[in-house]
Amino acid sequence: MLQDARFRAIAAQMLLTIGVVAIMFVLFTTTARNLELRGIPIGFGFLWKPANFQIAETILPYSSSDPNWWAAVVGLVNSLFVSVLVILLASMIGLFIGIGRLSQNPLLRGICRVWVEVARNTPLVVLLIFNYALWWEILPLASEAWRLAPGTHVSVRGLSMPALRWSESGVVPFVFLVASVACLIGAAYAANWRQSVTGRRPAYLAVAWPLVATGVALLLFMHRDAISIEMPEFRRANFAGGWSLTPELTTILIGLTFYTAGFIGEIVRGGILAVRKGQWEAATASGLTRAQTYRLVVVPLALRSIVPPLNSQYINVIKNSTLAIVVGYQDFMTVVSTMINKTSHAIEGVAMILGVFLLVNLALSALLNAYNRRIAIVEH
Amino acid sequence: MTDTASNTLALPIRPFLRPLLQRLAPFVGTPLNVALSLLLLWLILRVGWLLLDWAVVNAALLPAKPETCAATTGACWSFVIAKSGQILFGIYPPAERWRAGLVCVLILTTLVASARPSSWRPWLGFAWVAMMALVLWLMGGGFGLSRVPTSSWGGLPVTLILTVFAIGLGFPMAILLALGRRSGLPVVRTLSVLVIETIRGLPLLSLLFVASILLPLLLPEALLPDKFVRALLALTIFAAAYLAEVIRGGLQAIPSGQSEAAKALGLGYWNTQRLIILPQAIRIVIPALTNTIIVMIKNTSLVLVVGLFDLISSGKAALSDPDWPAPSTETFLFIGLIYFALAFSFARFADFLERSGMEKRG
Repeated sequence: MLQDARFRAIAAQMLLTIGVVAIMFVLFTTTARNLELRGIPIGFGFLWKPANFQIAETILPYSSSDPNWWAAVVGLVNSLFVSVLVILLASMIGLFIGIGRLSQNPLLRGICRVWVEVARNTPLVVLLIFNYALWWEILPLASEAWRLAPGTHVSVRGLSMPALRWSESGVVPFVFLVASVACLIGAAYAANWRQSVTGRRPAYLAVAWPLVATGVALLLFMHRDAISIEMPEFRRANFAGGWSLTPELTTILIGLTFYTAGFIGEIVRGGILAVRKGQWEAATASGLTRAQTYRLVVVPLALRSIVPPLNSQYINVIKNSTLAIVVGYQDFMTVVSTMINKTSHAIEGVAMILGVFLLVNLALSALLNAYNRRIAIVEH
Repeated sequence: MTDTASNTLALPIRPFLRPLLQRLAPFVGTPLNVALSLLLLWLILRVGWLLLDWAVVNAALLPAKPETCAATTGACWSFVIAKSGQILFGIYPPAERWRAGLVCVLILTTLVASARPSSWRPWLGFAWVAMMALVLWLMGGGFGLSRVPTSSWGGLPVTLILTVFAIGLGFPMAILLALGRRSGLPVVRTLSVLVIETIRGLPLLSLLFVASILLPLLLPEALLPDKFVRALLALTIFAAAYLAEVIRGGLQAIPSGQSEAAKALGLGYWNTQRLIILPQAIRIVIPALTNTIIVMIKNTSLVLVVGLFDLISSGKAALSDPDWPAPSTETFLFIGLIYFALAFSFARFADFLERSGMEKRG
């Protein structure tokens, strides 16, 4: 009977299943005994009790009397805020680095090369800790803050920027703005579709753009009191008002953006190099300018080889944002581990961490894969 | 006539000027390029001067004493020089530091030797096992050497030990996971996919949390390994999941004719994999494996969060000396340079090997 391949296959799988179940059972019973010995209760009830700890910097409103579940949500939004901002900034900078590494100018090429090599060969933890140390060493006191742009200052206390404030009547132009942008995007799709069917591009887009822009400008002008730019002002020891970022948040934003931009730069460079020379030559022969060649030929072709590795970079950003813990920015991981220390609900806390990160990463990769399928080569 | 005249006139300048102009051409092709060159040159000079001023001109070097640093405005290299032993080896007993140094040399030599194509033979696996045993003996003591518990290990040896042990122990696991993912048995395949994708979907930090916070609750106290081994366990599983995907890439590149031929010769599944498929698959993925080693060198720096004494923590410990002015920028720059030197030279070495291998083949 041992000679029968089908019997062996079934037997091996049954043994494996029994082994896994047995290990789970042993872990489960020892955990139950350990918890009983230490008198630790188990359950998610603690989530509805007040958190009783501070979160220094939050996007959502938070106070220490809020329940634990809200603290976790606030931490998660902090994490996602950092990730989204880093993904946007690093994509833009990475695009320039990738193009810069292919530039004819040796100075530009050299600077981009140094950036990429430092980012790829230094641990992110070291970059963040170094950045944080540098921050305290070189930046001036708030009273002597460096002025980067009107209303934008940086000092040891952090980065302060002008903020856009909307009062309630400002909702009208905002809604109109969103609606008109959505209509324009829809119109652009319709125009593309018509062009692909009839071969001619309808003219209405050329009229629609300036019309909508004028309309939005007019509405903004009419509601100009509702929208204001709040400038940070220096009062006593620090800047108040406007939009201010703590040193911790700024450090992780700069460090993670620097790191990710280096990797994205290499992806972009590889993608551009993967576009065959014949495509460039054909585009030039068709009379396209260099900018048109990039926009209409090179970028669409390069995107196909750029998007899959770019997707895994974006997921890496979310994973790497957990390193905020080394500079003390309170992201999801830090908030939950504080919670674990305060309530000793270690199993529930770690389960939350694992579950949330798996969920966020799965959702993001599903989204990005859908995009990848759309731009991938369609074989007719 | 005029032709000759202009030629004779131009002669003294030309041979001198032309190469110079050719050299300059990429900097000044178009007006935009000229502006870019000037801007970048200004930037490089400005930043370069600031750095030079700080790191060289005004820096404090020798004697390596706190007073030297107090006297200058620039970098305090004296601190790094005076504390280099502590930063590199952490809280390892100073009298036994030669052992930790030897461990570093041993590990680096093995890594460099393993990257060479001429050493990709079955004995390489035994060499790694021997190296790991030797490292444990040198670092931990016993058999004639004084005992040093893992809680006193620190600095660069910890970084390197975690890297090579995570890779060395993760590699066999990775092979099993990669084979499991391509297996025809549904239970085996599902389990492998589940393990690989879960680990790859999670931040390494959360795995380290599981190892440091959760494991003490999951295991009976008698079986619980110490902090170092727990962190190593997390790193090993992490490395195994990533290595498994690398190896799967190699397995997919082997044409199915190979396994069919092996089957026709009467080889069973394990013999086919061991003698025919894996040797070819692993050969293909060696460049990708060196990349994973660099990623792991970088990733071991995360163990500072769970309280192990790697380079960063020992640097931080050195900085807490009240006799010195705590020059953290210099210290972390030094640590960053160590990591950079390791990762960069290893990456260049791998590039070089890959290129020379390609030339030989093609």
